Amino acid sequence: MSLVNFTTREITCKIVYYGPGRSGKTTNLHYIYGRVPQERRGRMVSLATQTDRTLFFDFLPLDLGQISGFTTRFQLYTVPGQVYYNSTRKLVLQGADGVVFVADSQARQLDENIESLQNLQENLLGQGVDVRALPTILQYNKQDLPRELILAPADLDDALNFRSVPSHPGDALHGVGVFETLRGISELVLRRLAAGTPA
Amino acid sequence: MSAPSRAIEPWMLQPLTGFVNEAAARLVLLMTPAGQVMAQYGFSKAVDVMSAAALGAAILASTTELAKLLGNPPFAALNHQGQRHGIVLGAFDTPRGRLVALVVYDTEVSSLGLVQLFFDQLTADLAAAAPRAEQKKPVLAADFERDLNQSLMSLFGR
Repeated sequence: MSLVNFTTREITCKIVYYGPGRSGKTTNLHYIYGRVPQERRGRMVSLATQTDRTLFFDFLPLDLGQISGFTTRFQLYTVPGQVYYNSTRKLVLQGADGVVFVADSQARQLDENIESLQNLQENLLGQGVDVRALPTILQYNKQDLPRELILAPADLDDALNFRSVPSHPGDALHGVGVFETLRGISELVLRRLAAGTPA
Repeated sequence: MSAPSRAIEPWMLQPLTGFVNEAAARLVLLMTPAGQVMAQYGFSKAVDVMSAAALGAAILASTTELAKLLGNPPFAALNHQGQRHGIVLGAFDTPRGRLVALVVYDTEVSSLGLVQLFFDQLTADLAAAAPRAEQKKPVLAADFERDLNQSLMSLFGR
C-alpha cells in the first residue's frame, strides 16, 4: 500500500505491470527508463532468465517530483508472465497500489490474456484485495502489428474489460500508449489517496 | 538524501542509530514486506534505496515461500558472506506491522556474529518504540491532477 510520510511530505506508491508472457510489460518499463531523465529515475533492476524472460520481476523507481506539496515516488514492477511462475507473481503483487494489465493484441493470444486476467483476480482475492476497488488500467499492446493478426481495441474491450476500467491502445516498443497508460494509472492511484482510501 | 540516517516515522530513528553504532553496520534498511522503505542508514540516493529494498523484500518473500513448501516456519534470518561485505536479512513483528531489515557490513570492520548479536536488540527496540497504528487521513488535495500532469509531462520531455 502507499507509504505516506507526513513529516517529510513524501508519498511512495507501487504499480505492478501484469499480463501474459511476452505481452510487453518489460518493454513498457524499458521505454519509460529510456525516456525519463537520469536524475528522475533509479537503476532498472531486472531479474531475468538467460534468455531475457522475466524470472522474478523488473523494477524501476521514478521520482515524480512535487504533487500537491508531496514529494511523490512511484515504484514500477513487472511480474513474470509465464504461467509457470505464479508463485513469484503473487509475491510481486503484494502491496500493489495499482495494476496495469498489459494485454497482447494478437488474436491468437486472446485465451492467454483471459487466463492471465483470471489469474490476476485469483491472486488478488488470495491476498484479500477487493479487485473492484484496486486502481486498474488495461493496455492493448502490439497494436502496430498487421491488422489481420490483431484485435481492435473495441473488440479487446468487449473480451477483457468487463469492469469498464480505462484502457489504452499501445505499441510499447515505440512508446505509443506508454505515457498515457502511466498517466492513467498514476491518476487513479493518487485519486484514491486524495479520497483518503489508500490501497 | 544527505543525512546518514533517515526514517519515514521518527520512532524508528533511535533504535536504528543505536544498532548502527553497536553493530558497526555500513548500510541498514528497514522496509515493509512489500519493499516500501521505512528507514535507512548510509544510502545516499533515494532511488537506490528503493532498488535495494525491492531486492531485499523479494529475497525474503521467496525464502518464506520456500519455507512454507518445506512445511517449516519462516526462516528467522538469512545471511550472505562476500569478500568485503556481508548481508543479513531478517523479518520481525512490531505493533505497527511486520518489518524487514537489510543490514550490510564490512567484513573488516564488523562480523556476522556482531550483527546477529545486536539484530535481536534492534527488533526488540523497534517493537518497544512502535506506537499503535495511526488513523488514515486524506493526503492529497483533490485537484492534484494538474501537478501530476505537469510532472509526467516533464518526466517524458513533452
